[in-house]
Amino acid sequence: MTWTTVDELDAVTLPDGFVWRPIRRRFGIKAFGVNAYTAKEAGGRIIEEHTEQALGHQEIYLVLRGRARFTIDGTEHELGPGQMVFLRDPGLRRGAVALDDYTVVIALGGKPGSPHVVSPWEAMFAAAPAVERGDWDEAVKIHQEALAEFPKNAALLYNLACIESLAGRSLDSLLHLERAVELDPKLARRAQADPDFDALRSEPAFPA
Amino acid sequence: MSIRAGYEIVSIDDLDRYPSENGTQVLLPVRRRLGFEPFGVNAWLGREAGDHVIERHREPQGPEELYVVLRGEARFTLDDETFEAPIGTLVHAPPGTLREAIAVEPGTVVLAMGAKPGEAFTPSPWEDFAVAFGRLRAGDEAGGREAMNEALARDPDAWQGAYNAACFEAQAGNDDAALDQLRRAVAAGGDDVRAYAESDTDFDALRSDPLFREALS
Repeated sequence: MTWTTVDELDAVTLPDGFVWRPIRRRFGIKAFGVNAYTAKEAGGRIIEEHTEQALGHQEIYLVLRGRARFTIDGTEHELGPGQMVFLRDPGLRRGAVALDDYTVVIALGGKPGSPHVVSPWEAMFAAAPAVERGDWDEAVKIHQEALAEFPKNAALLYNLACIESLAGRSLDSLLHLERAVELDPKLARRAQADPDFDALRSEPAFPA
Repeated sequence: MSIRAGYEIVSIDDLDRYPSENGTQVLLPVRRRLGFEPFGVNAWLGREAGDHVIERHREPQGPEELYVVLRGEARFTLDDETFEAPIGTLVHAPPGTLREAIAVEPGTVVLAMGAKPGEAFTPSPWEDFAVAFGRLRAGDEAGGREAMNEALARDPDAWQGAYNAACFEAQAGNDDAALDQLRRAVAAGGDDVRAYAESDTDFDALRSDPLFREALS
């Protein structure tokens, strides 16, 4: 179907407490990034605190319904329906808290001057409910589907290795972790401190 | 409105409004207003119930688009399907889909975003043209010409720029300037331009002028 409503979108609650409502993924949109976010309740987080430094994205957050308190680069702004904040600078820290139970924020993002590339975090967000309930097959499947499209994405490979480690699939995990570290050597240090790899850290093949 | 280093806050109500020439829909430029670069984003307003919010059109080689109903309620048509779309409705239109939205409630606003898959986005000149003609219709000829000149500067060799500039000057009653732009358009676009100009009502007042025939020759 080519149309739906924000309330009928999937609702994926992330560990930080905000609820991701995938739009791009729902329609299979390839040309641009767009998602909706809601909160579990008034006062709850609706946009996670983050920067877009790694992806270099410009973003627009538009309040569709209810109110939200954004914190942009340390300054608070309360936005209501029809108001939007445009973040030109990917390095600015941004986040928001919902002020109403029913607040909906639409997020638009992409990198200037580049064809749109689906952000790897979408697969990680999509796999979060499966990870939460220990459905490792489903979590692995979502990552493998994303990797079929982006085989050299280090963050996806790293996340897949985490899931496989938690699932007790040591060989798969070490293989994917090795590949992730090849592509992004900084991930070796992260893996050293990541509790997801506690069961594997003593393995000779674990990246030092 | 709030402008700080690296970010800006605006409301739909702060955006300029440009009624279209042929339809009833009103353009509220978002991308152009903010300088958002990754893809196209605009809001469209239907002022009265029954007004168009999104004109009936198809984009065969065009962008993939998503529409979000922000205010009011619209009646959407996608190819053969028609449905009511209240606030929060998301409508996906792949390239080639026939699409149209009509306001069911007064003051209906729809956000439209679009880009071509696999291509880096470049702003389409129609936004500048829409702004230029909108300002002219509102009595702001100088402001309209400024927007037209932005489009001409961005792509000086395209006949579409000179042709729209010719229409603009003709509508503004500047016959000499209109003919100058028309000559430039013909030089760049040849028979395509001649065919458009022959039937374009913007040139009705000029059509009997020998210089018009000369410009098209």
